[in-house]
Amino acid sequence: MTWNDIRLRLRAAIFPARAERDLEDELAAHIEMQARKNRQSGMSEAEARRRALHQFGRTSAIQEACRDERRIGFVDTARRDIQYAFRGLLRAPAFALVVIATIGIGLGFNTAAFTIFNAYVLRPLAVADPYSLYQVHWLSRSGGHFGFSWTQYQNVRTGNPVFSDAFASRGMQVRVNGKQCFTQLVTGNYFRMLGVGAALGRTLTPDDSNAPGREPVAVLSYAAWQNLFGADAAIIGRKVLIRGYPLEVVGVAPAGFNGLGESPLDLWLPLSMYAQVADGANLFDPASAQTLQVIARLKPGVTERRARSLLNVLAPRLATGVPGRTADSSIDLESNATAVRISRQALTTLIPLLAAFAAVLVMACANVANMMLARSIARQREIGIRLSLGAARSRLIRQLLTESLVLALPGALAGFVISQLALSEGVRLVMAALPPELVEFIRIAPLDPDLRVFTFMVAAAVVSGLLFGIAPALQATRGAVVQAARGDFGHQFRPQRLRNALMLVQITACSALLISTGILLRNANRISRQDTGMQVHDVVSVEVQEKSRARVVDLLAAEPLVKTLAASTTLPFDSGFPSARIATRERDLATTSYDYVSPEFFDVLRVPLRSGRNFTHEEALAGAPVAIVSETFARRVWSGAGAIGQTLPLLPDPRSHLSQARPLRLRQARVIGVAGDVKTGFLDDQNSRMLVYFPSQPRAAGTVLLMRVNGDPETARVRIDQELSEAAPGAVDRIHRMESLAAGRAFPFRMAYWVSALLGLLALSLAISGIYGVLSFLVAQRVREIGVRIALGATPFSVVGLVAGQTIRLAGAGLVMGTLVGMGVWKLLSSAMLAVTGFDVIPFAGGAAMVMCGCMAAAIVPSMRASRLDAMSALRHD
Amino acid sequence: MSDGKPRLDLLQGTLDLLILRTLRLTPMHGWAISERIQQISGEVLQVNQGSLYPALHRLEHRGWIKAKWGVSELGRRARFYELTASGRKQLEVEKENWAQLTAAIGRVLESA
Repeated sequence: MTWNDIRLRLRAAIFPARAERDLEDELAAHIEMQARKNRQSGMSEAEARRRALHQFGRTSAIQEACRDERRIGFVDTARRDIQYAFRGLLRAPAFALVVIATIGIGLGFNTAAFTIFNAYVLRPLAVADPYSLYQVHWLSRSGGHFGFSWTQYQNVRTGNPVFSDAFASRGMQVRVNGKQCFTQLVTGNYFRMLGVGAALGRTLTPDDSNAPGREPVAVLSYAAWQNLFGADAAIIGRKVLIRGYPLEVVGVAPAGFNGLGESPLDLWLPLSMYAQVADGANLFDPASAQTLQVIARLKPGVTERRARSLLNVLAPRLATGVPGRTADSSIDLESNATAVRISRQALTTLIPLLAAFAAVLVMACANVANMMLARSIARQREIGIRLSLGAARSRLIRQLLTESLVLALPGALAGFVISQLALSEGVRLVMAALPPELVEFIRIAPLDPDLRVFTFMVAAAVVSGLLFGIAPALQATRGAVVQAARGDFGHQFRPQRLRNALMLVQITACSALLISTGILLRNANRISRQDTGMQVHDVVSVEVQEKSRARVVDLLAAEPLVKTLAASTTLPFDSGFPSARIATRERDLATTSYDYVSPEFFDVLRVPLRSGRNFTHEEALAGAPVAIVSETFARRVWSGAGAIGQTLPLLPDPRSHLSQARPLRLRQARVIGVAGDVKTGFLDDQNSRMLVYFPSQPRAAGTVLLMRVNGDPETARVRIDQELSEAAPGAVDRIHRMESLAAGRAFPFRMAYWVSALLGLLALSLAISGIYGVLSFLVAQRVREIGVRIALGATPFSVVGLVAGQTIRLAGAGLVMGTLVGMGVWKLLSSAMLAVTGFDVIPFAGGAAMVMCGCMAAAIVPSMRASRLDAMSALRHD
Repeated sequence: MSDGKPRLDLLQGTLDLLILRTLRLTPMHGWAISERIQQISGEVLQVNQGSLYPALHRLEHRGWIKAKWGVSELGRRARFYELTASGRKQLEVEKENWAQLTAAIGRVLESA
């Protein structure tokens, strides 16, 4: 097919009237010239013309042959089919609207889900050549990922055959003007390597991070510039206080660029400012900790496979400068082309979710297929006549499928509107449901629809159009010609098996969804109600910058709102505890969590001491080698008896990434007390049950301050925040009510059950309306038969049984299958999340009851109608 | 229509060759093409309009000829066809094919 051919065909397809007129003119011109020739050879005017027409032959046949050469017959047919479909549907507007709405809902929720999936997983980052960007990690023998030291980063960046460039970064949360900012400290080549320019001012340059503390500069994201500084054009050159340190804003990044991770960033600082804003060890010390995240660009022509094998050879050389730890590690690469990489873990969460969404679409299709089936049966006479007039079956099927597509495309449009509404409302609801002080910590990537979303939507619409169109089309055109012409389809045309299958699918899907909802709901409630072993209602936590710590502790000690001040290196409910290995007597190595806490910790959080004693003030100050263990610890390790006075030998756990920031400082400790168990984990209660506390105090670096306050905790939190920011600007990084943190723990469950409940209820209403529609239709079809039965003495009760019985049997079968699927969901959830425990019969019983009631309700109206039929008029029914 | 001379129907596929050859020198409309073929062949070859116009449209779709609206000798709108560059190449190919075909048929007839 040449380009010329396509051009001509398109022209003929788009301007059919013009193509036709041209053809007529051309042939008319021919005839006229022939007539002139005839005249010249001496014929009369009329004779010349008659002869010319005769010589020319059948004009219409020639026209037809020319049209065939255009090869756009299918367009003509499609055009006629579409016109016909429109006329038909305009005559049944209610039917058309219900179909469009049903498909719209199914497509809408799927498009919304796809938009989110697209924003995180599919959309390549707005940087130069995102597909050559890779995150580089050390991979330890035990499978843990860890970062790079400054020296190692330099090794990666220069002099290797794999990467053309690399940047190092560290994430940080800071407050600017009292608002949380997601910040990244980056090397100066960050923007240049990513090919990202500035919307305003300039970006960071390699000069900015040549040496520690060199340039106190910052670059804002476009959104932060808009939201925090009101899009002030005079922002360039202004100083902002970041952790009390003044930094000059030198530029604003372009609107589409939000960093390379899943949370959009607000602020970029040169990594060389680390010492000033991130109070910690000197990052540039050759022996500094391996805390840098490195993202590198593969050299052109180097494949990922080749890069991996080269890097594993190079690993020992890259590791230089850091003793021990990296000696037996290899290097792992992870593509950074999109915000989120598809991992096995991501898939286990996503697949059930996507399956649930797809199930709703399939149900919507099943409903529509049933409606189409009913409609095509009502059109049997028409179809029969067309078949007997010689219409090919394929031609009729095409006509019916065209009709489905004519319905599916407006359905897609409706779906798009619904998806936009669902997304904006969804985001609003999520934000409203979060404890207000946590809202600042949730960032959602921009969820704009793009070409991929539109393609998905149209493809889904077409597929669903075919899905709900094909079976009814095949069924409807199966009739035998002779009977069809008589309009007699009663006997062989009973697409019952198909209809039953569709109903079964619906009932299975909605019962599985409702059961899953129940499981999630029960577990969310269980977690919210669960006794955590702590009382956090009046507790406020403060994370401070190290250099202001002494001042903040002094201020808080004198603050009348603070009843008691305590400290802990781990903020419960916010992050997990680091872990260590213990070796006791002959027992093998076991793993335990640990925490450094001040003696007041047990009082502030109301963790009871079961036996022994608390840390003394002196032990806390000195960080003495004493320990308090949790009850579970004492029971497991010493079978409950005689924990006090035992000595714990301790070893660092190389797999615990948390122990990097909160390292194990002791190699052995004497147990002086046993405290009550706490359960602070969300996915994993084990992390907090086996727990060892070591002594510390509020002035020790790296601890979070916890205080029990007087009066309303939220008022107290706001007051304390205000007072601290006046007395010590930039000192406070985060200040929270611990109650909010604890509530945030059940949040993912709540989200999941809302989504699942929404889908489940949609599915149930689709099933109910589907069953209702099918039964009403069946009753209308079987009026005569039912009339005969009533005339022969059938009781109303037996008529109800006749009509509803089938549905009840189907519902039973669907429930069994739905329950099996629900069991699978439960298995999956309990393997992915330890918080989902033990088999719970209530969600299964509840889901089944809802579905059964729904089916009965849907069946009862049509069957009552059937039982009240008047036998005489029913028998006269056509 | 009978003026004594025998008329031959065109062989399948030869019409394309004749149209291309006719258009080699100057653009023409459909009637002129059929007249010209008849004239040059000494009224032996008769072009059937039922195959002429579909053939013209087919050649246009293949990109060998292109059509332009012009004014006929009668002062009426008429569609003039002209040979394109690729049509010129195609003409050479078809001529070559035709020569081979006739030569082959000739050899078969000679030998028999």
